Amino acid sequence: MEEALVRAVLFGTPILLASLGALLAERGGVVNLGVEGIMALSALAAFAAAMAGGVGLGVLAGVGTGAVLGAFLGLFAVSLRANQFVAGLALAALGLGASGLLGKRYEGVPLPNPLPEEGLALLALALAALLHLLLYRTRFGLYLRSVGENPRAADLFGVSVDGVRHLALFLGGGLMGLAGAYLSLAYRPSWTDGMTAGLGWVAIALVILAAWQPLRAVLGAYLFGLLFFLQFRLQGSVPIPSEAFAAMPYLLVILVLALSGRTRAPKALGIPFERGR
Amino acid sequence: MKRFWALAVLALGLALGQGDKLKACFIYVGPIGDAGWTYAHDLGRKKAEAALPWLETRYVESVPEAQALPVIDRFVREGCQVIFATSFGYMEGVLEGAKKYPNVIFAHATGVKRAPNVATYMADFYQVYYLNGLAAGALSKTGKIGYVAAFPIPEVKRHINAFTLGVRAVNPNAQVLVRWINAWYDPAKAREATEALLAQGADVFAFTEDTPTVIQTAAKKGAYSFGHYTPMLKFAPDHVVSGQIVHWDVIYIDFLKKVKEGVYTAKNLQNVDYFWLLQHKAVEMGADYGVPINPKHVTLLQKAQMTVGGKKVSVYDHILALVKDMSSPKPTFDPFTGPIRDRKGVVRIPAGKKATLEELLTMEWAAAGVVGDWPGEPK
Repeated sequence: MEEALVRAVLFGTPILLASLGALLAERGGVVNLGVEGIMALSALAAFAAAMAGGVGLGVLAGVGTGAVLGAFLGLFAVSLRANQFVAGLALAALGLGASGLLGKRYEGVPLPNPLPEEGLALLALALAALLHLLLYRTRFGLYLRSVGENPRAADLFGVSVDGVRHLALFLGGGLMGLAGAYLSLAYRPSWTDGMTAGLGWVAIALVILAAWQPLRAVLGAYLFGLLFFLQFRLQGSVPIPSEAFAAMPYLLVILVLALSGRTRAPKALGIPFERGR
Repeated sequence: MKRFWALAVLALGLALGQGDKLKACFIYVGPIGDAGWTYAHDLGRKKAEAALPWLETRYVESVPEAQALPVIDRFVREGCQVIFATSFGYMEGVLEGAKKYPNVIFAHATGVKRAPNVATYMADFYQVYYLNGLAAGALSKTGKIGYVAAFPIPEVKRHINAFTLGVRAVNPNAQVLVRWINAWYDPAKAREATEALLAQGADVFAFTEDTPTVIQTAAKKGAYSFGHYTPMLKFAPDHVVSGQIVHWDVIYIDFLKKVKEGVYTAKNLQNVDYFWLLQHKAVEMGADYGVPINPKHVTLLQKAQMTVGGKKVSVYDHILALVKDMSSPKPTFDPFTGPIRDRKGVVRIPAGKKATLEELLTMEWAAAGVVGDWPGEPK
């Protein structure tokens, strides 16, 4: 059982990080559907930088790339008031495609000195706690939540709605970038096209299931990690076909989180803010 | 004016030269950078082009399996005379395209349906899996060997069975623990499946899926592994013992030469099926090209003993002897030679008989020693 808990945390970590990033933006009222693309490009940037200058540089490159891409989405979804869903989906597709194209020369090359997963796992846990404090104990957290719930009121009180949303996307992108770096530097220390394999979408779903609360995202991510591992640990020893087992993590996480309390989205989620309308 | 004529002659020469070339075009299912299936086919294409001066090639990558026909249309418009379709799922598109363009020659990798202008081809690993199984059986201390497998289809089952027969030939009590990930490419699933097998005590690993994840994960815990499809030694230089490596170029060069010489035409391919093995040099046992066994593990395998025909021999010597035999024009050994019973005790290949090609291509049973879920297992 011990190894199952270890896997729960170590595989839950990239999902948790990406989920925290998406959660941060969504609390400010912006949906970031670009997670998968941001993770893919960050994973590539992290790997390329790590090959050139070590894993420390790799982590920085991953986080930096994620943050820049988060800000890039902000340009469209906040400043230009584009449809957030369309802009996010475009970013997801763009990131996946661009990473595949740019990453060709890194295919099939192993990373000589991978990053230990455990350190990043602890960092992710600390970041979740930090995000919780940020949301509920700081002035920025108050601004962020008010921008996500009622941007007009926040605007009347002198809060820069666009500014807060830009910052949330930027920081959230950084967290997604860290998730990407975790994949290519620690979890599977190499780069291949499409290595995010859908984890970004799981992270987006987890935000909703975690009711937009960082600490519940920890629970959800670890639970997903645990069940993902158990589908292989138990395959063959219980009379359930492997295909059905593969659906289990998704179904059970939905079930558990659905039963664990009401969920309510930030009221202004997905709605571009325009002053005076 | 002199310059004009010189250029004109040059242009004419180039155009004529171009016209002499045979144009072969490839449809790839993945990106050529996938470090696996498509990468290997593209390597074969490049080697064929380098070896055959009269050959000109083109390719389109990442073609979804339902989109074969539009690509075929385009290739034919561009003057392709031979079209290679490199994924099983292109079957319907290829057969339709072959009807539409009866003068174009098609070859379909892993395909099972042929036509007068459609040949099929495959480079198969079952012999190599058996050889790797011998090494795995010798190296495992726990008697538990992990196998991460993509999909429960006959091709993968054949490979697991061959591997398990090899394992059991060295250690009759060993178990091969199989985990299906139901994906050709999913690093997370491959990783967690390997972790699950490690937790269950597996200390040697083989796999059939398209990433080096199993190797990297196993090496972290000091477990040995066998590469798949391309050389994977570099992913864990101390732990990759050997592996299966493909050489599609051998098939491509042979096929294209026969087209050029007029042996193959768009009318006589109905019975042309390549199922090429060690003896054709279409596959290789190796941790890397030309490295059948990682030198770091040679001593261990030399010390390990097994019984062959009532005599004790070193596992290393036996592997090399079998490689030599199966690489010769007339091999005497085949892994699927009876008597072989499945894990339920049913005789699948009677004593003295060798599995037919048909039996190999439709294999659903699980060899004795295989442990785990086995979808489609015959009663």
